[in-house]
Amino acid sequence: MKNNIRVERAIKNITQADLADLIGVSRQTINTIESNRYVPSTVLALKIARVFDKPVEQIFMLDDTD
Amino acid sequence: MKTRFLFPYWCRFLGYALFIVHIPIVMFRKNIGFDTNAPLDHGLFTGHHLFFMATTLLMAVGLFLAAFSKEKIEDEQISQLRLDSLQWAIYVNYLLLIVSLIFTTDTEHILFLNLLVPLVFFIVRFQWKIFQNNRLLRKDENPS
Repeated sequence: MKNNIRVERAIKNITQADLADLIGVSRQTINTIESNRYVPSTVLALKIARVFDKPVEQIFMLDDTD
Repeated sequence: MKTRFLFPYWCRFLGYALFIVHIPIVMFRKNIGFDTNAPLDHGLFTGHHLFFMATTLLMAVGLFLAAFSKEKIEDEQISQLRLDSLQWAIYVNYLLLIVSLIFTTDTEHILFLNLLVPLVFFIVRFQWKIFQNNRLLRKDENPS
């Protein structure tokens, strides 16, 4: 699964730490999601989407390998 | 995030402390008056048995607390990591158990190994992964 959290963060101008605080996870978790080392649960994906005020599909997309 | 069956964060340090305390006690058992090379009197609640029980309990409880205490921030990524490390620990433990069952008949030491390996391997693997994540995070934040 791919995601464009990094881009969305840049648009909204918030850091990984800010995003982590907003959804109540650690900075490490945001970092592992951004670098595609961890696939978040649906709950976490929905929370991230809510922060950016966009549907989940615009932030997380299926990869060719999925 | 709600977590079940985990000790509070400070229990980790208590756990490490108990484990560290147990090492000199076992190392200097002769000085304290428990020479395990002396002819063993087999039986429950003899001096030797009580000493063995006390030190082993100290070690096991220490490792247990250190292994299953909460992280500072508990989230789903940490639980995933914990679960992953547990799986690894069980694999390694059973591999060692099977190998030692085939190649030795020293059941007392096999038991001891079985007591130690899953928890120690779990702690090392889990903390190593957290360390790696932190390093990658730092690299990401200051890419110099």
